[in-house]
Amino acid sequence: MSSIEDFLRENKPQVKEDPTFILEAQRRMVQVEGIKAEVDRQRSRGRVALIIALCGGLAIGVFATAITFLYPIDAQSSAEGLLRAVRLFLQDYRQYLPMPVALLAITLAVVLFKRPARI
Amino acid sequence: MTQERFISEVRQQQEPLRRFLLALCAGDGALADDIAQDALVRAYVASGSFLGLSKFSTWLFRIAYNCYIDHCRKARPEKAPVEEARNLPGGDSSDKSFRYQQLYLALDRLPEKEKAAIALFYFEDRSIKEISSILDMPQGTVKYQLSMGRQHLKQYIQL
Repeated sequence: MSSIEDFLRENKPQVKEDPTFILEAQRRMVQVEGIKAEVDRQRSRGRVALIIALCGGLAIGVFATAITFLYPIDAQSSAEGLLRAVRLFLQDYRQYLPMPVALLAITLAVVLFKRPARI
Repeated sequence: MTQERFISEVRQQQEPLRRFLLALCAGDGALADDIAQDALVRAYVASGSFLGLSKFSTWLFRIAYNCYIDHCRKARPEKAPVEEARNLPGGDSSDKSFRYQQLYLALDRLPEKEKAAIALFYFEDRSIKEISSILDMPQGTVKYQLSMGRQHLKQYIQL
């Protein structure tokens, strides 16, 4: 058994000198740093957007609550009034209804079939 | 760990790491260097989690071994036995070239764990404890893999 051990110890694989190896490693590390910085940027942007959304939501909620308490309304009568207004509007302008529907369909078609931009 | 410190550690470990992977890749120097570069990127990304509980080289070799295993899993369908030894040391006698050819052909026939244990123990002079840590297996299993590896190599290499 010792002969195979001697053979292995005497014939260690020999690595060819390659001065570019470390340079290549450094180049890749710089790339990794770039990716890390971009990920951090995206994360901080996401955090800021989340904080803005939370603050905005809170402000709107506070405002809506304050309005509700300051100017109480009769919910049933106002709902009936709104429904009546909608019904009247539809009766008056029903000949123009296909136009917004068609516009909406065209817009949706353009948005959905638009090719994503090449990055 | 800063980039400068990481690079200086890698500079010291570059040759042993490439030799270890060269043995695992049965003499395919280009493939060994590719895996080594992947391992360095992985190690650099994870360098923040290196707590210094083991030696840097042990940690790096473990990552490199995992990269090699990942490569084997991906490349398994296309894997063909080595028909000729690669990366033979230039300028050596034909006798030495023949021995390297024998060595690489024999290593290529070994199971991955045996090959890794043999490479670490005989080429890198690592202790059983370190090998156990790098290959993530108990010390008894490392000794068994070494014993099996030696037996297999004895069959494949004509001395």
